[in-house]
Amino acid sequence: MVADIRPLAAVLVSAVAIVLIVASHRRPNLREGWSVLAALAKFGIVVSMLPAVMDGTVFRWSLADSTGIEFLAGLDFALRADPLGIFFALLASFLWIFTSFYAAGYMRGLDEHSQTRFFASFAASLSAAVGIAFAANLVTIFVFYELLSLVTYPLVAHNEDSEARIAGRKYLTYTFFGGGVFLLAGTVMIYWLTSLVGEPTLAFEAGGMEALAAAAQAEPVYAQAAFFLLIAGFGVKAALMPLHSWLADAMVAPTPVSGLLHAVAVVKSGAFGIARVILEVYGPGLIYDLPLDVPGIGEVGLNIPVAIVAAFTLTAASIIAMRKDHLKRRLAYSTTAQLSYIVLGLSLLHPYTVVGALFHIPAHAFAKLTLFFCAGAIHVETHTDYISEMAGIGKRMPLTMAAFTIGAAGMAGLPPIAGFVSKFYMLIGSADVGGSYWLFAGALLLSAVLNVGYFWPVVYTAFFESEDDHDAKPLLEFPAGGLGQSYATEDDVAADGGRPTDGEADQADAAAGDGDTAESDRVAAADDGDYEYAVDEHPSDADVPGGEQVSAVDHHGDHDDHLTGGPPADIWQRRSPFTESTWLMLAPIAVIATGAVVLGVGPDYAVFLELATRIVEEVFGMPFEELGTVPFDELMTEVNE
Amino acid sequence: MSSIDLLPPLLIAAPILAATLPIALGLWFDRTGWSVAAATTSGLFVGAVALANEVYTGENVIHRLGGYPREYGIELVADEFSMLIVLLVTAVATGVLAYTRRGGPRGNTFYTAYLLLVAGLLGISLTGDVFNLFVFLEISSIATYALVASGDGPEAAVAALKYLILGTVAASMYLIGVAFVFMATGTLNMVELAAAIPEANATLIRAGIGFMIVGFAVKVAQWPLHTWQPSAYHRAPDGVTPLIAALVSTASAYAFGRIIVTVFGVDYLAAVPNLAPIVLTIGCVSVLAGTVLAVIQTDVKRMLAYSSVSQFGLVIAAYGVVVAGESETALVGAVVHLVGHGLLKAGLFLGAALVATSYGARTVDEYAGLAKRRPFVAGSMAVLLFALVGVPPGVGFVGKWYIALGAVESQLWPVAAVIFLSTMLTLAYAARLLEKMYFTPSAPADASRPGPAATDGGTADTDAAAAIRGAGAADPVSIGMIAVVVVAAVAAVALGFAGGTIADLLEPFVTEVFN
Amino acid sequence: MIELLTSHYLYVLMFALLGLGIYMVIASENLVKKLIGVNLFQTAIFLFFVAMAYIDVDGASAPIVPHEGTPGEVMVASPLPQVIVLTAIVVGIALTAVGLALIIRIYSEYGTLREDTLREVRADE
Repeated sequence: MVADIRPLAAVLVSAVAIVLIVASHRRPNLREGWSVLAALAKFGIVVSMLPAVMDGTVFRWSLADSTGIEFLAGLDFALRADPLGIFFALLASFLWIFTSFYAAGYMRGLDEHSQTRFFASFAASLSAAVGIAFAANLVTIFVFYELLSLVTYPLVAHNEDSEARIAGRKYLTYTFFGGGVFLLAGTVMIYWLTSLVGEPTLAFEAGGMEALAAAAQAEPVYAQAAFFLLIAGFGVKAALMPLHSWLADAMVAPTPVSGLLHAVAVVKSGAFGIARVILEVYGPGLIYDLPLDVPGIGEVGLNIPVAIVAAFTLTAASIIAMRKDHLKRRLAYSTTAQLSYIVLGLSLLHPYTVVGALFHIPAHAFAKLTLFFCAGAIHVETHTDYISEMAGIGKRMPLTMAAFTIGAAGMAGLPPIAGFVSKFYMLIGSADVGGSYWLFAGALLLSAVLNVGYFWPVVYTAFFESEDDHDAKPLLEFPAGGLGQSYATEDDVAADGGRPTDGEADQADAAAGDGDTAESDRVAAADDGDYEYAVDEHPSDADVPGGEQVSAVDHHGDHDDHLTGGPPADIWQRRSPFTESTWLMLAPIAVIATGAVVLGVGPDYAVFLELATRIVEEVFGMPFEELGTVPFDELMTEVNE
Repeated sequence: MSSIDLLPPLLIAAPILAATLPIALGLWFDRTGWSVAAATTSGLFVGAVALANEVYTGENVIHRLGGYPREYGIELVADEFSMLIVLLVTAVATGVLAYTRRGGPRGNTFYTAYLLLVAGLLGISLTGDVFNLFVFLEISSIATYALVASGDGPEAAVAALKYLILGTVAASMYLIGVAFVFMATGTLNMVELAAAIPEANATLIRAGIGFMIVGFAVKVAQWPLHTWQPSAYHRAPDGVTPLIAALVSTASAYAFGRIIVTVFGVDYLAAVPNLAPIVLTIGCVSVLAGTVLAVIQTDVKRMLAYSSVSQFGLVIAAYGVVVAGESETALVGAVVHLVGHGLLKAGLFLGAALVATSYGARTVDEYAGLAKRRPFVAGSMAVLLFALVGVPPGVGFVGKWYIALGAVESQLWPVAAVIFLSTMLTLAYAARLLEKMYFTPSAPADASRPGPAATDGGTADTDAAAAIRGAGAADPVSIGMIAVVVVAAVAAVALGFAGGTIADLLEPFVTEVFN
Repeated sequence: MIELLTSHYLYVLMFALLGLGIYMVIASENLVKKLIGVNLFQTAIFLFFVAMAYIDVDGASAPIVPHEGTPGEVMVASPLPQVIVLTAIVVGIALTAVGLALIIRIYSEYGTLREDTLREVRADE
């Protein structure tokens, strides 16, 4: 532990930027300049700590030590740059640099209102996110977690229309329920539990808090309750089902927000919090050893319910994503699914799955940010939000759609993109444990297939279809479960065979079986009744002129702005990669997409994997190479001692 | 007798004497009230700080009035608990004056009542005598009735009368309680009582406790005895509501806490059957009922008034935890929340008053687009609202943390659940206002005037406001009025970091109570 | 019960008066009568204090205390009940005055003293 002000500086640098941003609200160039400058400074401060942290130093700043003020009786307000904290801070601050360029391009491209508020809130969000990364105890993380909910609310409600307000309301409700109720309750309980066995504490300790382990022996039931409260509290931001639905609604926010915050900083802070809880509050050993008595099944580890929820979420969210026509919503459900990968990996407790889960944080961040940037670029340039209107858009935005393809491949876990590395670790980890964990390995594999299922159509329609000649979209247009009649016999157009309808129809069946999550979509689809048009009014999809196609598509009532989208009058203009959009947006897209590939090709050279293994080494207390050789059960008892 | 010993009686006597000045000087001069009040409250604040310095660094200051022994004399006690309330009272009283200078109400009699109220509140805080407490409760109440009734329109008189009848009955209930306790022990001094009560006739004491609880439940405005409070806050002049809302119920709640911990003692009350569950139930039900009522209000001042019902419910619930679980933490929480809530409500009502003065906006809907026109006021109100919700690092969070921790330590799970859920409940009405201020564009037509819905007395204010503007007064809102709201918001955040400090300050008192 | 009435009849009377007062406050529609009810309620409490000094049963004793200057020799009546009642009467008068002032204001605005009429008048506005 080295006392150092840099963790605080990293948090505050964007808070200072807020003031400057607000002060220069009349001069947009200066204002965005501050944004970029703060991002660079933040990244610089974080990087300056990186080498020492890799060598095992922990930088610490505490309110009590530096000013003598005690935040709460017996509790310190402390920041600490340890490997796990640096891991998240590095990711968030690095991606912020490019996002601030992109955000400038996006907001100007759309000529948005209240840009000052937007950039100020954005900087504040990054402050809070880095605060979460560096928080040294549960109460500090709670403070920043709540602040993060607070400062992202203006971004979600940015549009100031009723849709944005409703989304904002939902967002506040969910996140404050997670933070102010679950997380606070869990924190208070941990404080109380540790006070039973000595001096109360909330400080994180690699491998789990010792006091808590002792207290858990005395009060196992309350320790379990606190665990689930904490997981639920962070699970809200990590969009675990059934607490996920705010995320899709939050997509009304401007795309840079959806990209950096609702795919990286905010939602990952939830996943990061779960990592802290599992690795540094309870510790894998305690979680494994604190059995939960389930009637009818017997005793299971505390991690199993979490893993089941995560596995369910990643499957169900992928299936829901397939039925979303709004691109950002599809990406949101994809985010929900991908976050559950992280939670699943963490909750399996095996060193390999934990490394995989941690590495999935940057892997998903790079890939998903690329995807969101692409969606935003499409929105700015063509005002197209719906996948069904994107047929042939590859001509108009070649570079963007190429980057999109890379991101999509990363999501699906195809080598050589980063997503492959993390999923690989998770797979071998869960296979290593064996037993019932095969089920979770199966879920991982299934979800990879589903990922392809919902990303491939986007790529396909962009590059391989054209405005006036594209296939029907039975998954989007038909009610869940398909029509009660044969679709092929009435439709005499042979082109339909060209699409992988069989496979998707099966998945639609699965979606129907999914029950309540699919229920709302089914209702929406049934209400619209659009599927009748698709079959009866236009017997041949191919005959429909491109311009009118828009009205025939079911948007599930997501938006009423779909008439603005789609190709201009006849067909997409063909443009070169250099003229398709402003460099302010294209450059970040290119850089981030490249980053996703670099992480996948050479994970050993990118710092994240090394950091992840360091974290795991500290948690389990032995070198990473040896971890693979120790049997799982032994590992759990050993880490407990 | 050192000079510091004279401070407690001076803090009470000075405003009472000064209260005569505005009327007396009013015979010759027109506008002396504000200056007298400002000078007096500033002096009081300085005196309170000096006294607090002595109490927190040295020892408690005890003054015996007239030098009579405490068996039948009156003692004034400045200890760690009472000084926090004294500081709050003097600070808010001084701050609100910054508003009333331009924002009104004006007139010398107003400032007389203002100073009387301050004297009564300081008396409640400092007295060490249960009957003397009754007298000061009534002094502050009478001043409050007069202040409420000075509002525009006849509705204010109706609200004041409602308050007067309920408040008097409540104070009388408390007096009956005092009678029973006196009957059993033969003394009125708090310290003497604490020694005598354990040996006294239990039936009499319990009867006394029962009457006192009912009395304070009305004074603190706990559901279902809160009915006087929303109309009183609502109808009082805009410049008065912050003072009343921040201080009057707070002082009563302080007195209740004082009776619980000092007079009866936690040990004794814990042994009284059913007492703790009753207090806990009153508190928890008020939290829930107050919030539900707050959510359905359309008028901002009424909404904030019902919010007070629920926030004081938290304090009463904390007292219940203190009794039920003998929890030191919950006591700290109750004190912090009392002070914090007082500060937050003062700021919020000042903000509401400011908006009403400048735009005549009184309902939640009329707040649409406020952030654009008054960024500082809207921002401060947002900070205060979030502090009220319990978002760290606001002062509301600190109180909530200690109360919740106390409930969990005592393993009172239903109470803990209510406290945690209260965050969400508070958010329900706070977010409603925030959304209007920041994310709802103001209605294009005639936004600065209230719609036809706000006919209940609202029209008069608008006319007045319009008259002020028409009369050539540049802006009905002065810098001082905005500054005081901003200061309240800053203080709310600053105190959020003082959780440990306040606990340290209270430490000697808490130790004394629990031994 | 009979014993209670014979030995504690003053208390019983006081509480009957107390009940009467609160009943008037709740049941009467006339604002002035409400205020009278409050007064009655308070008076009952004053009498309660006075009665306390009079009753001498069940081992209770009148509030007589040793003289401060010459303890053990001269017994004096405790000043406390007297002080309390005197002060409380003053407070009560002040409250009544404020209350009556408010009622006059209400009457001049609405022209009624009855609460039900008042409610109707206010609802109409």
